[in-house]
Amino acid sequence: MSFMPAPLGPIRPAFLTRVTPAARLVAGSIWLVASIVTLDPVVPIRLSVAAVIAIVLWSGLPLRRIPRRLAPLGFAIASLTFFSILFAGANGDRSLDALFQFGPVRITAPAVTGGLAIGLRVVVIALATLLVFGPSDPTQMADSLVQQWHVPDRFAYGTLGAMRVAPFMADDWAIIGAARRLRGLSSGGPASRIRAAGDRLVVMLVAAIRGAERLALAMDARGFDSGIRRTHFRELKVSWRDWLTIAVASLVAVAALTAGR
Amino acid sequence: MTNVLSVNAKAESSRWRTVDIIVVAIIAVAFGVVFYAWNAYVWEWLKPLGEPWEYVVSGMWVMPAVVAPLIVRKPGAALFAEMVAAIISVALGSQWGLDTLLSGFVQGAGAEIVFGFVMYRSFGPIVAFIAGAGAGLGEALHDLQVWFATYTADLQFGIAALEVISGAVIAGLGGWLLVRSLRRTGALGAFKSGE
Repeated sequence: MSFMPAPLGPIRPAFLTRVTPAARLVAGSIWLVASIVTLDPVVPIRLSVAAVIAIVLWSGLPLRRIPRRLAPLGFAIASLTFFSILFAGANGDRSLDALFQFGPVRITAPAVTGGLAIGLRVVVIALATLLVFGPSDPTQMADSLVQQWHVPDRFAYGTLGAMRVAPFMADDWAIIGAARRLRGLSSGGPASRIRAAGDRLVVMLVAAIRGAERLALAMDARGFDSGIRRTHFRELKVSWRDWLTIAVASLVAVAALTAGR
Repeated sequence: MTNVLSVNAKAESSRWRTVDIIVVAIIAVAFGVVFYAWNAYVWEWLKPLGEPWEYVVSGMWVMPAVVAPLIVRKPGAALFAEMVAAIISVALGSQWGLDTLLSGFVQGAGAEIVFGFVMYRSFGPIVAFIAGAGAGLGEALHDLQVWFATYTADLQFGIAALEVISGAVIAGLGGWLLVRSLRRTGALGAFKSGE
């Protein structure tokens, strides 16, 4: 699919590739929570530095491809920071000195620090996401969630089966568009374009549901819903690495939140 | 319409058959792909509408939480669908990364509570409308903490109100209309909802 990002690979073996995906998810979530409970921009800066160190030293990800992967975030960060500062409630507080005043626009110090903290959350979250999902593929994530967290296996592997179909949906979307043009159903103004997109979505979903029914039948024919306890082809064992990763991530989060006050 | 898979459709009501799992997962995957394109190519360009008005279209994000339960009518469908859609948009590279999973959870839970409240027995436009509002409320609770913590109280209220209304109208009523169109094509023959 042309509009989708290319996979990050190749990944070389490193410390984090040997940590189970479930443990990385716990560690990443701790950083996510640490970054969203505070309006102090120092915290996301510290967490971002820690995340960069972890990516460089232990993730095994191809470092040169990361900047291009993260580049589209620039716009989201800039607009989020800008609006968080501009529309901050603190700007209306007359007891605070204005850092900047132009006509009705008044900017105060708490607005700027709070806005920066919110913009920088995106950086922490993006880097943590790379650390969680980067070093493994979706199959390993599903294996880990089933084995470590006891997520019901039919749901995990059913989802994995459904994910395989995603690229075909984009093909369907293009074919449906071509078929509509062939029949002279072209769309002109914005209103008819939105309606046309809705019609295409319905047709795409019909195709997807019919495909899903065939896939389910094929899976059932191979005993997917047999009720017999599933054994695992790839066994993932929780090791000291998992506990070390979670412990270090927790310590870093606590230190980032509390150091220097 | 006759369908091999519809044989046991009525025998078990709350147990998930393979076809239920796969159809919800695939619908969620489809929405996850749509979300990715929406986030990357539509959402960030709506900013010029001005806060909080861009949130009139935020209901788009909670559609799976209404559409999936309307089709399969099983406990957990809203949460499962919204989580899978979130996972897909993270996997494709959503700008909100891991936080999308948190959003997906609270949005799915918001709709799930509403369907649970009617004991998974009623799936008409009114329940869909309220479920959409519930999902929008979950979305609002999350967004105010994570993204709009600095905003003025007026703007926070405006965003929350628009998310709830947009969830109710776009995801709730829109989702109900979407499922009605799907039913008319005969694609839901494997489900009770297709009768």
